[in-house]
Amino acid sequence: MKILPKHSLKAWVDRLRATHRVVAPRETYGQYIFEEIENADDLVLDYHTSVLPPKKYLLPPREDLFAFNAKTMEMSPLIEEIQPTVIMALHTCDLHAITLLDKIQGTGHTDQHYQARRRKTTLVSIECLKPCMDHAFCKSMGTLAVPEGFDVHLTDLGDRYAVEIGSEQGEQLIEGLSLFWEPVEADYDRVNQVMAGKWPNFDYRLDCDVTDLPDLLAANQDSALWDEVGDTCLACGQCTKVCPTCYCFDVLDEIDLKLEHGKRIRVWDSCLIEKFAVVAGGHNFRSSQARRLRHRFLRKGKYQYESYGLLGCVGCGRCALSCPAHITPIGLLNTLAERRRPATEEASSQS
Amino acid sequence: MKPKVAFFEFTSCEGCQLTVLDTLQRHPELLEVIEIVQFREAMTERSDDYQIAFIEGSCTRPSDEAKIREIRTQAQIVIAVGACAHLGGINAIRNRMPLDDVREYVYGDKKDWFETYPARPLSAVIKVDAVIPGCPIDRDEFAMAVTHLLQGRMPAIPDYPLCIECKLTENVCMFLRGQTCLGPITRAGCDAICPSCGQGCEGCRGLVPSPNLGSIKDALRERGMTEEQIDARLSLFLTYQTMQMDGVTPA
Repeated sequence: MKILPKHSLKAWVDRLRATHRVVAPRETYGQYIFEEIENADDLVLDYHTSVLPPKKYLLPPREDLFAFNAKTMEMSPLIEEIQPTVIMALHTCDLHAITLLDKIQGTGHTDQHYQARRRKTTLVSIECLKPCMDHAFCKSMGTLAVPEGFDVHLTDLGDRYAVEIGSEQGEQLIEGLSLFWEPVEADYDRVNQVMAGKWPNFDYRLDCDVTDLPDLLAANQDSALWDEVGDTCLACGQCTKVCPTCYCFDVLDEIDLKLEHGKRIRVWDSCLIEKFAVVAGGHNFRSSQARRLRHRFLRKGKYQYESYGLLGCVGCGRCALSCPAHITPIGLLNTLAERRRPATEEASSQS
Repeated sequence: MKPKVAFFEFTSCEGCQLTVLDTLQRHPELLEVIEIVQFREAMTERSDDYQIAFIEGSCTRPSDEAKIREIRTQAQIVIAVGACAHLGGINAIRNRMPLDDVREYVYGDKKDWFETYPARPLSAVIKVDAVIPGCPIDRDEFAMAVTHLLQGRMPAIPDYPLCIECKLTENVCMFLRGQTCLGPITRAGCDAICPSCGQGCEGCRGLVPSPNLGSIKDALRERGMTEEQIDARLSLFLTYQTMQMDGVTPA
């Protein structure tokens, strides 16, 4: 552990900016957006959630895949020159989300574009000491503590930050800088005090245990709740855009008017959109909004856990905040748990 | 060989054709790949030998129909340009009112001098191959539509809701501001230009394929809109589509 006095934070960011693009949450019209910091004075470490998650630096909403010439039929790769980037002030939920994305994008056919960006990205997370907003349910999802494999993690101790270094990449951000002090006994005491003090600030909001989620969803695939909630879902897709773990994309070709120079690009897609599961010939594998909504929940709460050992929801609450129809994971999952109760008791009495 | 292209207008403000003219300034290479043979707003020459017809405006008079059919017979591809041609546009607001009252309101005691009937999109009169939506249309989308036609395919117009684009611009959601917006039920493709300027979406690009009207009305009610205000909001560009969904025929 190291100590960074708060008055040295700007100096550190200025040092980082000499060698890195530094992105951090910035306040715009009362909300926070991850953007490049042009001036260390713009840095905010204490913020509620961001509109889009920081994954936009690893999986941009729109990304060039390769260029082609339709006349000569030549193709050339387009993995752009990626600036070394530091993402500042990630909440631990977003860090858990990136841990999941690393696993997904690094398994099987690894995604070169993701890997190229990820290799150049260092993550500086911050310990959440109070809930960032009403919709967050990180404590229930087990994402309120920093995951393994972080780079640099900051904990606010009042006039200073405790700085944990979790990787070689993280080490490089503070190496040789006299801005960082060695901790004294009192600093360790303060860290323990802050860490012990923060937990009661957060509520458990999920009525079942997080480890029950895959079974809860598996047992409720035919629940009438999907139709009920499907009826209110606007299918606007906002929940999938703001989700820190969604990574589905669509692939499009763009070409100039002379039909010569073109690019293949990919853009974020959304499983809540009607066309998402339409295949050649026009059949839609998920033909109702209820089914599309159910798919999203099963994917986050069951399928990804089965494939990667990690749940696809980190409890950030962005989807709940952005839904104009007020559909929330907590509301939906707790209703499922509530309705399951009699059935479970009945099943156990039979066995 | 460059395809021959003609532009036509029916009941409209001609703003979409003005946007096409502007697109020609931004993408002058358009003139290298298409041959414009008729475009009243831009040129004197006029030929009826064309393959692609771009039509702006809605059909609001029985006598328009013959001309529209004539274009359909000549053109291999007919594209509806803008909200009027695509949706009936704001001209269709009157469709929910008794036609005679509307005529009297507009023309007073001269109401019998003018021919009119409920406004309708081109697709209610002829088969339309594709649409370029919006009020007015988007310049880049027009260029893209031409590119796709040159490739031998129909223009790929987004069929997902505006919220998708709006969220990617990280705008403050109109609903979170306590204001109202038709973004969740409106077709994207305008890069959320209105919400980006602080104005809720009015739906000029038309409804997404399966809009949840019940739920959007709930969201609007929740922000304090009365039933009358909600009906008005849904009538600016969406009268024809919502009447069709309700199975209501114009009065």
